[in-house]
Amino acid sequence: MAKQSTVQAPLTPAVLHILLALSTGGRHGYGIMKQVQADSQGRVRMGPGTLYGSLARMMEAGLIRESGKRVDPEMDDERRIYYELTSAGRAALVAELRRYRSVVAVAEGRLAHGH
Amino acid sequence: MATEGTVRRWRAWYSRLLRLYPRPFRERFGEGMEQTFRDLCREHGNGGRGLFALALRVFCETLAGIVKERAMQLSQMGRTVLRVALGALAALMVPLVASQVVEGWNWPPEAFLRVYVLFFLTGMLFALVSRRMAVWQYKAGVGVALAAGFALGWSNMVHVAGTGNLANLWYYSVLAVGAGGALLSRLKARGLSRTLFVMAALLVLISVLVPSGAPPDMARRMAIGHGVNAGLFIAAGFLFRRAALAEPNRAPSQ
Repeated sequence: MAKQSTVQAPLTPAVLHILLALSTGGRHGYGIMKQVQADSQGRVRMGPGTLYGSLARMMEAGLIRESGKRVDPEMDDERRIYYELTSAGRAALVAELRRYRSVVAVAEGRLAHGH
Repeated sequence: MATEGTVRRWRAWYSRLLRLYPRPFRERFGEGMEQTFRDLCREHGNGGRGLFALALRVFCETLAGIVKERAMQLSQMGRTVLRVALGALAALMVPLVASQVVEGWNWPPEAFLRVYVLFFLTGMLFALVSRRMAVWQYKAGVGVALAAGFALGWSNMVHVAGTGNLANLWYYSVLAVGAGGALLSRLKARGLSRTLFVMAALLVLISVLVPSGAPPDMARRMAIGHGVNAGLFIAAGFLFRRAALAEPNRAPSQ
């Protein structure tokens, strides 16, 4: 049984970026890295230490799971371990985005009123 | 541009660096990390760039990850030790309270200390061994086997001290077989299952062949106790067998 308490809201930037990268389907480690880089327009460059440390914590928290080994047709014929979101991971992403929206709404309201 | 030999050399160094991770982490993610490093090297090589800057950045970042994982492992171990120490203290309350209310129960202080150490060691064994597989059958098997082993060792120690019959020391061979089997099987569920069945058979054999030297009433109670113990060993053996079937292709996790 996964422990739900290891990764809690608010999510760390690394966890949020990985959840976002996996929101469109399963990816392997390098694929996640490239997607994070693309999603952040090159501002976030995650190394293997941060990536796999975060993956470990997220797996323990039940946010993601391994979806087996397979070949990436866009790369070579080597089989890579893929990771995918669980329903808990998707729910955590939705909740985090909702939290961001409410923070942005508060901030915009304050700025509009000149406080 | 990096040559094939340079790439191979950096990959070999990276592989060595990954050995510094805690073993469970390395077993689970080492292969993926090596693959990712290879992919990064390939990407840089295709871009016509040298690998030194990339390797330096990735090595430093990975080293920081290793320090973090090691620190977390130490902190987890500290929490486990504290929990087990408190659990052993709670368990010690049973003989402590009993010594106050049961007639003739007069343990010296060092006996309580010995019992506390035994409780603590058994608890630590459970905490360390049971985390090797995630399935509940494995954890339950470890718990039942340790409880039965503790009961056998404890009751036998009390009996030898009470009767002076050294033939009862034969019962410790059951525990020795258990320890040997656990080491040989490297705590894998299938091997532990066989070990527990052998322990049960050996316990029954010894209780039939070795004279207890006790009066008939006590000998009957001992036979029942050994029967219960053998039953617990068999139950633990079946739990380990179920654990092996539940996770046949997965290496022990933590």
